[in-house]
Amino acid sequence: MGYQFTKAEANALFQQWKERYDVYAPMLMKGEGCFSDTDIVRYGQPDTLEDIEWAKKSDYSFKEVLLSINQTLFYFTEDKTIVPNPPKKEILIFLRACDMHALTRLDDVYLKNGFEDIYYRQVREMTHFVLMGCTQSCETGFCVSMGTNKADTYDGYVKLDGETVLMDLPMAELAEGAKAEELAVTPDYVTENFEKVTLPKNLTNECFTDDIWKEFGSRCIACGRCNFACPTCTCYTMQDIFYNDNPKNGERRRVWASCQVDGYTVIAGGYDCRKNQSDRMRFKVLHKISDHEKRFGHTMCVGCGRCEAICPEYISYITLINRLAEKEG
Amino acid sequence: MAMDINTKKIKRNAFRVSKKRGYGACRIRVPGGYLDSKVLGMVQEIADKYSATGKIHLTTRQGFEIEDIRLTDIPEITRAIQPIIEAVGINQKDPYTGYTESGTRNISACIGNNVCPFANYNTSALARKIDKAIFPNDLHFKVACTGCSNDCAKVRMHDFGIIGMTMPQYDPTRCISCEACVKGCKSLSVGALSINNYKIVRDTEKCIGCGVCVTKCPTRAWTRSQKKYYKLTIMGRTGKKNPRLGQDWLVWADEENIIKIICNTYRFVEQYISPNAPARKEHIGYIIDRVGFEEYKKWALEGVELMPETIMKKCIYWNGIHFTDKSAWTD
Amino acid sequence: MKNEYIPQLSTVREVIKHTALEYTFRMEFDHAEIVKPGQFFEISLPKYGEAPISVSGIGADTVDFTIRRVGKVTNEIFENYVGDKLFIRGPYGNGFDIENYKGKELVVIAGGTGLSPIKGVVDYFAAHTDENISTTLIAGFKDPDSVLFRDDFKFWKENINVIQSVDRAPEDYTGPVGMVTKYIPDLKFTDISNASFICVGPPIMIKFVVKAILELGVKEEQIWVSHERKMCCGLGKCGHCRVGSTYICLDGPVFNYVDGKKLID
Repeated sequence: MGYQFTKAEANALFQQWKERYDVYAPMLMKGEGCFSDTDIVRYGQPDTLEDIEWAKKSDYSFKEVLLSINQTLFYFTEDKTIVPNPPKKEILIFLRACDMHALTRLDDVYLKNGFEDIYYRQVREMTHFVLMGCTQSCETGFCVSMGTNKADTYDGYVKLDGETVLMDLPMAELAEGAKAEELAVTPDYVTENFEKVTLPKNLTNECFTDDIWKEFGSRCIACGRCNFACPTCTCYTMQDIFYNDNPKNGERRRVWASCQVDGYTVIAGGYDCRKNQSDRMRFKVLHKISDHEKRFGHTMCVGCGRCEAICPEYISYITLINRLAEKEG
Repeated sequence: MAMDINTKKIKRNAFRVSKKRGYGACRIRVPGGYLDSKVLGMVQEIADKYSATGKIHLTTRQGFEIEDIRLTDIPEITRAIQPIIEAVGINQKDPYTGYTESGTRNISACIGNNVCPFANYNTSALARKIDKAIFPNDLHFKVACTGCSNDCAKVRMHDFGIIGMTMPQYDPTRCISCEACVKGCKSLSVGALSINNYKIVRDTEKCIGCGVCVTKCPTRAWTRSQKKYYKLTIMGRTGKKNPRLGQDWLVWADEENIIKIICNTYRFVEQYISPNAPARKEHIGYIIDRVGFEEYKKWALEGVELMPETIMKKCIYWNGIHFTDKSAWTD
Repeated sequence: MKNEYIPQLSTVREVIKHTALEYTFRMEFDHAEIVKPGQFFEISLPKYGEAPISVSGIGADTVDFTIRRVGKVTNEIFENYVGDKLFIRGPYGNGFDIENYKGKELVVIAGGTGLSPIKGVVDYFAAHTDENISTTLIAGFKDPDSVLFRDDFKFWKENINVIQSVDRAPEDYTGPVGMVTKYIPDLKFTDISNASFICVGPPIMIKFVVKAILELGVKEEQIWVSHERKMCCGLGKCGHCRVGSTYICLDGPVFNYVDGKKLID
């Protein structure tokens, strides 16, 4: 059901949402960029619809709401383990079409790959999604190439249009008490990007020895930004700690990990299964465009272009993939 | 041809009397070395018109020195450079009077955070702000601004050096223990970071606020403080008697107090400058050597209320090279 | 819904000290009957972290873990297990399927603690010699002091062919000396097409052993390998053990070489 609101009406409805849900949306974090006097867009809890960054794509994705960067799995007290309480309040996440598709990739790993992950399941079941449309392509995204430019499984759709706000609210709870002109609202989506990507179709282990990995990998500084910004990267590492002021107690956490950062594949005794950066680059790229697909039927990459935009060494994932496709002819 | 020139006056107006009889040079200063490209065209126009050889020297203090101008053209050039003075936005009492004082030198700056990833503030903006506060003045002051502790602007060779700092803000919930900051701080800076329980511990005594941790962090666990901080180094200088490096006086200081201290120092110099100082120019460091740091501090800190986080060094000693002391030169 | 991450507290029944660096911890486990050789558990000392450890023996209500002291977690386990309990969760992974080796001429080649995951298979055929044609164990250790499972070797030597070799030894040592690959060309078979090979050890050892086996004229599908990777979760989530589209913790760690050879880090 579509609605048209004034900004004030929409914000009143938004306040209602905030009472019921923990609302997360991309926000411009002033001065929190990498460099002095630069900003960053990442997920936060907005007070009003205007607090949301509608124009720019978020530099870091929504995944940190579902998968905390640091998540306590349980606490240790002597011989016991205590699991933290699951979130009490339901969650509402504002996100874009590419991200809605990324959500299915998170589900692949956390719900479908062998065991179900209870922590993810608990949060996931309490989370609803509000689509933010795209009236024009972002600079580095290639959602059209990946077929992720449109999303239709949203619980709500919100569009700020000057002084009016358009919404489509398929989830009845979101529309509760909404008094406004009803009309048909369909989400904006882009049909063309600045970047176009052609995926290689016949990748085999033979491409492992291609010089292209060395060419791109040798420029990598192993910082992991591409993984941390990616909405579909899901890896983590376990960490056990005991509290400095109470060594009898402690906790086990899982913390985001990156396949590009040193230590990711080091096994007991110190042997590193994937030591050089070229192999790590190949491992990451093939996962995104081919290996995940072999297991789950769709590519992992959703073409959001965040890794492209964040790489401090200007290693272009887009160029790399297109080059792989070109080689196939 | 008879040529009657008041050299004291033209020097005070920032012109130079050159070694070639009848010729001089026109100095144009650019605070912070930051200008619109159109200013280059304006400088070129003046050089083309008035310089006998068409040469310009780029000065060490980020100005232009148009060489080989006729001393007799000075009144005309003084009027001609007015658009440049306005374009770079320096302080001037009356238009078309050129630079009325030249003792206080152009405030130089590194490229700063307009461009440089390491810089912690907009150096040229601060240079202009200080320019507004202290110009025009004929007392011999050198001030420079640099974006970070790398000190590309060599501010420690100045009476006042302003080094950009940031107070690193750490959000442990965003930290993934990759240790990029720890490695970066160790290899590029002072090694103030260590890891405990997979989280970073910052040694606040060691940290120099350079911001390397912030630029290295891949997750925004480290961010810059909203407030900008500065280190104030004082009384560095070059020269024929006792060149020395400026010493840290204030760490984690703020812009307003630094400007206040510089202004206060002008009053201190007015009070204590040697009556025999040639052209009323004596390096401030020598004055402090003579009257003592405690006395200087009294003057400099007049009306200054430092922030609680600002660290002030109680006493400062300068060493440097003493050319007047030859004893060390012989066996 | 079960929280797979919560480990259970398990009592250490017995500690068998093989060498200064390698102990076997015999741990209580109520469902030992579901455990297969080649599977692994995540073993932890709370507050120090978890490590994936292969099952090296399966009792009525116990499982054995032979732990080599090489990392932070295993160090702590050695230091702090005393009289005590460890946290365990598992079993994970596919493990070895005994059925694959019945009626075969089985050759097991293992290096060092690589013996742990296949120890169950060796135990089985040493106790059920009638269920296959022959069993040969080639076990390599660094030196005579590093030999593990000494008591088990006594039993095995009585029932199956055992070549227990060391990479290097003092001059007065009388046993076999040399890398495990040295013994492969001399293996005798009644019908090599009915032979099965299992190879477990560090990645570099697997590479050379498989090469030597293939040189015998054996088909790839006659070879099984077990891979060691950094398995943080054992649940197909953490990603560390993924190779291509394979999650070693879920799909392995035991692979027929036809699939195993495609696993390139």
